[in-house]
Amino acid sequence: MDSISYYLQTVLNGILAGCIYALFAMGLTLIYGVLNFVNFAHGELIMWGAYFLFLFMAEPFGLPLYVAVFPALALTGCLGLAMDYSVFRPIRRANRLTLLIAAMGLSVFLRNAAQFFWGAEVRTYGFEVMAGTQFFGLYLTTQQFAIIGVTILCVIAVYLLFFRSRLGKSMRALSDNLDLARISGIDTKRAIRAAWVISAVLAAIGGILLALDTNLHPEMGIANLIKAFAATLIGGVGNLWGALLGGLLIGLAENIGVLFISPGYKDGIAFVIMVLILLARPYVIIGERSD
Amino acid sequence: MDLLLHLLIVIAIYAIFALSLNVEVGYTGLFNFGHVAFFAIGAYTSALLTLAGVPFVWSLPAALFMAGLCGFLLSIPALKLQGDYFGIATLGFGEILRMIVNNEVWLTKGPMGLPGIPRPELFSIVFDTLPRYLILSSGFALLTFAILGFVVLSPFGRALKAVRDDETAAEILGKNAYRFKIKSFAIGSVFAGLAGVLWAHYTTFIGPGDFTLTETILVLLIVVMGGKGTFLGPVVGAVVLIVFQESVRFLRLPPEWTRLLGPLQQMIFGLLLVVLMVFRPEGIIREKGGRR
Repeated sequence: MDSISYYLQTVLNGILAGCIYALFAMGLTLIYGVLNFVNFAHGELIMWGAYFLFLFMAEPFGLPLYVAVFPALALTGCLGLAMDYSVFRPIRRANRLTLLIAAMGLSVFLRNAAQFFWGAEVRTYGFEVMAGTQFFGLYLTTQQFAIIGVTILCVIAVYLLFFRSRLGKSMRALSDNLDLARISGIDTKRAIRAAWVISAVLAAIGGILLALDTNLHPEMGIANLIKAFAATLIGGVGNLWGALLGGLLIGLAENIGVLFISPGYKDGIAFVIMVLILLARPYVIIGERSD
Repeated sequence: MDLLLHLLIVIAIYAIFALSLNVEVGYTGLFNFGHVAFFAIGAYTSALLTLAGVPFVWSLPAALFMAGLCGFLLSIPALKLQGDYFGIATLGFGEILRMIVNNEVWLTKGPMGLPGIPRPELFSIVFDTLPRYLILSSGFALLTFAILGFVVLSPFGRALKAVRDDETAAEILGKNAYRFKIKSFAIGSVFAGLAGVLWAHYTTFIGPGDFTLTETILVLLIVVMGGKGTFLGPVVGAVVLIVFQESVRFLRLPPEWTRLLGPLQQMIFGLLLVVLMVFRPEGIIREKGGRR
C-alpha cells in the first residue's frame, strides 16, 4: 500500500470511529438538552445495547443478526426508561450533586451486572473476520459499510423526528425551558420519555456497530463516555448537529493522532482535545447555572 | 489479631482518602470522579523515590507536593467547567493517569508494577510491623482529621461552603469562587496523595490495577454514605465500608464464586450509591444546617 492511500485509510478509519462517537454523543447531548444533566450511565446503555444483541444471537434464542437487532434495541430503550423511572424521576428536582452521584452509582451497578452475567472477558458476535473489499486502494469491511450507512440513516431519522414532528418540537421546547414548556400545555412527561428512548436506542445502535467492528466487553461503555463527552463539548452542549460534528472530529483526531504518538495513548487524545478546548474557549460550555 | 490490625490500617488510610475527597465534594460541591489519580500520584512518587534510595522523610513531602501540584494544574482548565462537566474532566484525568502509568514503562514498569517498596523510616524508627504501621497510619489520619477540620472551620472553610451553596452570592460578597475551588481541589489532592503514600508503603507493591475507577467509587461511596460535608462522616463511612469489603475478601469461598464476588460487590456499591441518593442523600450523619 503506498503512502497516500495509507493516509487516506487513516482518515477513513477516523470517519468510521467518528460515526460511532457521533451516535453516542447525540444521545448524551439529547438528555442533557431535555433534562439538563450529564447522564453518566449513558456508557452503560452503549454496552448493554451491544450485550442485548449478544444475548439474542446466542443460545437459547440463536436469532440471526438482522432479527436480533430489534429486540435488542427495544430492550435498551426499556432500560433507558427504567433508569428514568427508578432513579432519575424521583430526584428530578434534587440538587445536581445528588443527580450526578446517582447516575454514577447506576453506571457502576449496570457495568458490573453485565460482568456478573457475561464475565469480564472480551467477546465477539462470532462472525468470521473477512478481508475488506478494496476500492480506490482503500479497504472497507461489510461491518464498516454498515457503520456509515446506519449512521446516515440515524442522522436522517433524528432530523425528521426533531425538526419535522410535533414530538420533536415539544422536546426542543423542553430543552429551551422546562417550566415554560409545561405551562404551554406540552406533555412534558411524554417528551421526556421519548428523549430517554431515543437516547438509549442511539446508544445501543452505536454500541452494536462498535462491537460488530471490534468486540464486546463490560468496560466498553465507560471508555467511550469520555469521548462522547468531548464530542459534545466541541459541538456545544445540547446541540445535536454539534455532537455529530464533534464525534467525527474526535474520531479523526484519534486515528490521525496515532501516526504521531504511541498507540497506547490513543484513548487519551479525546481528553487532551477537551482540555485544549477549555483553555482556548473557556466560556463556551459553562452553560446554565447549577440551580 | 493480624486481621484486625490490617483492617484498622486500611480504615485509617481510607479515612484520610475520604476526608480529602470530602473537602472537595462535601464542602465545596466539586464533583471529583478522578480522585484516585492523586492517590496514585502520591503512591508512585514516594515509591519511586524510596526505591531510588531517597529516605521517606523526603519522599513523603515530595509525593504530597507532586499530588498537590498536579491537582492545581488540572484544576486550572477543569474548574472552568460547570459541575457535571468538571466530573467528566476529572474522570478523564483518572483514566489518562492510568494510561501514563501503563505506558511509561521506563519510569513506572508499566503493568508489571513496582514491587519491594521499602517500609517507611521516620526519626530512625522503621515502621515494619503491623502494630507500628498502624501507629504511623492512624497518626497521619488524626493529623489529617485535625488539619482538615481546622481548614473547614476557618473563614476559608466557610467561604468554600458559601461557594458551594450559592456561587453568585459568594461572588457578590467579593469571594472569587474560581480561586476558592482551585485551592480546595489542591488541598484535597495533597491529602489524597498522603493516603496514596501510606498505601504504597503498606502493601509494598503497587501497579496500575490498584488505581482504577473502582477505587474512586469506593471512596466516593465512603464520603456519601458517611455524610458529606461533615467531620465524622468520612470516618464512619470508611469503617463501615472497609469492614464490609475486607471481610468479604477473607471469607473462604469456592473459587468459582470469587469470580462472581467482585462484580457482585461492585453492584452492591453502585446500588448503595443510587439508593442513598434517592432516599437519604445526606448519608448516615447529616450536615448541620445543610440542605439536600
